[in-house]
Amino acid sequence: MEGNVKEKRPRFCVNDHVDILMEILKRLDGRSLCVSACVCRLWCTIARNDSLWEHLCFRHASPPPSSGVRPVIVALGGYKRLYMVCVRPVLSRLGRLRIAGDSDRDRRVWTRDGVQLSLSLFCVDYYERLGRLGGGGDASGGSSLMFLCKPVNV
Amino acid sequence: MKRDHQETIGNKAESSSSSMDTGKGKSWFEDDQDAGGGMDELLAVLGYKIKSSDMADVAQKLEQLEMVLGSEDGISHLASDTVHYNPSDLSGWVQSMLSEFNNLPSTDFDSSILLSSNRDSLLGQPSAITSLDFSRNSQSKVFTDDSEYDLRAIPGVAAFPQQEFDRSNDRKRVKLTPIGSDTAPAPAVNSLQSPTASSTSTSSPQAMAVSGTLSGPTRPVVLMDSQETGVRLVHTLLACAKETQEENLELADALVKRIGLLAASQTGAMRKVATYFAEALARRIYKISPQDYCLDSSCLDTLEMHFYETCPYLKFAHFTANQAILEAFADASRVHVIDFGLKQGMQWPALMQALALRPGGPPAFRLTGIGPPQPDNTDALQQVGWKLAQLARTIGVEFQFRGFVANSLADLDAEMLGLLPPEVEAVAVNSVFELHRLLARPGGIDKVLGSIKAMRPKIVTVVEQEANHNSPVFLDRFTEALHYYSSLFDSLEGSGMIPRSQDLVMSELYLGRHICNVVACEGADRVERHEALAQWRTRLDSAGFDPVHLGSNAFKQASMLLALFAGGDGYRVEENNGCLMLGWHTRPLIATSAWRLAAGDSQQ
Repeated sequence: MEGNVKEKRPRFCVNDHVDILMEILKRLDGRSLCVSACVCRLWCTIARNDSLWEHLCFRHASPPPSSGVRPVIVALGGYKRLYMVCVRPVLSRLGRLRIAGDSDRDRRVWTRDGVQLSLSLFCVDYYERLGRLGGGGDASGGSSLMFLCKPVNV
Repeated sequence: MKRDHQETIGNKAESSSSSMDTGKGKSWFEDDQDAGGGMDELLAVLGYKIKSSDMADVAQKLEQLEMVLGSEDGISHLASDTVHYNPSDLSGWVQSMLSEFNNLPSTDFDSSILLSSNRDSLLGQPSAITSLDFSRNSQSKVFTDDSEYDLRAIPGVAAFPQQEFDRSNDRKRVKLTPIGSDTAPAPAVNSLQSPTASSTSTSSPQAMAVSGTLSGPTRPVVLMDSQETGVRLVHTLLACAKETQEENLELADALVKRIGLLAASQTGAMRKVATYFAEALARRIYKISPQDYCLDSSCLDTLEMHFYETCPYLKFAHFTANQAILEAFADASRVHVIDFGLKQGMQWPALMQALALRPGGPPAFRLTGIGPPQPDNTDALQQVGWKLAQLARTIGVEFQFRGFVANSLADLDAEMLGLLPPEVEAVAVNSVFELHRLLARPGGIDKVLGSIKAMRPKIVTVVEQEANHNSPVFLDRFTEALHYYSSLFDSLEGSGMIPRSQDLVMSELYLGRHICNVVACEGADRVERHEALAQWRTRLDSAGFDPVHLGSNAFKQASMLLALFAGGDGYRVEENNGCLMLGWHTRPLIATSAWRLAAGDSQQ
């Protein structure tokens, strides 16, 4: 980012070029994206941009979900939450079952069924949060997606 | 070697790790047997040479010897006239010792019974003690016990040996204790008094011919090989159920206590299942009406939520039913779902989301939820409806909700629901674990099936437990339930997840309530009248419904869902003539099926 630069060369700082930054961050996997959000405030703000997460969620989905999906997902909590709560665990667990060969778990192509399943689970998660916010639940209330959240003993 | 005989015998009864039959006993030792010329290796290390094949025999004789030595007379003889034998050839040594004792004129085993007070500790277990040959004992009473490891035991063991006393049965073993040990007087039913001395002497030689069964260590040990205890546990459970069925309540009571003891030596799923069944049996025996326990609906709802969270059964049910409904609603612009058991409405968010993302846009969605009256008069249905309405607003689906409170589904009529004609709205009827309750009252199920037909649904989805817990014979029901819930508990155990243990406990409590209902309740209270898919098929078929095949989408979704659960390899989705079944390993546990009105059925 900064360095010993000669006077002749103009300094290049990627932080000045947010669109380039976004293009770079778009290609990261989930974990790296989260880590990058810890780098500095600017990166944190950018990483919050939901379109990054949207790209992350569905870039390997084939066929890609229709555009009508977006408002629903946004309403249910956004792509970042979708990724953290549903897509990441689903991909990693389904990925476990596939042939080894790909180290990067995000490279797996997943089908419409997988997408559908993730969305359904996401919706259930939203519904449960509704129940808890409505004063009915304790803070540590259960979640039906707990089976996704718990560490998997591989 | 003075010993407290009662304690010894009690402990021996508990500590006997006798094998099921000779075959098994030998195999236990075959494991120990390595090359060494057939000598048992472990004992060889200690300096004793015994052939592995002789082990059973030697052990038996050692017990006999112990009995003899336990009496004062034996000891005094030894003290006065000693010949020392080399014990390293253990079998020869034991043999010679025994023959010495048997020749003694002064050996007097005036033994009296015991065990009538300890009958419960001996039931269902082979006694580990053999008799001695003492032909002139005039006052002895004997206790006979059957080895229970084959199924003969189920009819036989609980039936007291009084009538079997003179049967020459070479598996019978006879137990003796010297007089002087404190024995409780035998209560009437289970008295083991021996008839007369003459029969004693006739039976004893037969008893001597007991074939080699493995006896346990002579030191009192409480824990045994838990696999064998597991088998013993199951047998005791079944024996107890049988006795309960035949109203031999004292005996059943004793067996129930025994189950508790045996269950303590198990771990994991078996222990829990046994505990729940024992409790349910106890309730049945003591006629404690478990109404509040089994039927309290609000409590059950909470438990069911935990069950929903920890294991895939309910999720499977919901997802597969939703898929069928979705496919049936493919082109409709107004849809109406009637849910026979709304509870927390966990099934509907997923359906609503799928409808919202439908290629042509979401239809107008109407939901009618039916539920039982709440004990605290809160309107639980409305609260659920409100939450669903919020969700619908969020995802942009037009939504209407109506709740019906009914004690039983049979109280409802199609007219009450205010249905629009089928050209206007497509109706789906959904029943998840609700239909079996109607079997508790005569005519209930027929009335409801008639109402369903009057609703003219496009599709009816039915999810039920895949087991027959509705047999009129209690023992059959019990056995079936034991196997079913064992598999279910196994799957909870084996799912390998680490949810907060509280959830697991709650799920088990939830299942425990069901167990209690199946075992302890009768008549109209017994609502958990599960029936197998084949039975439901017949019933729905004859009521005028045609099956609808659940498509491959449902199968794929279900398989994927199960793969997400950590114990995914244990769960299996099977397709059975268009119905989907979820099971644990080889045992199917719940089944989803879809139906529509039979073609040609007259419109009502």
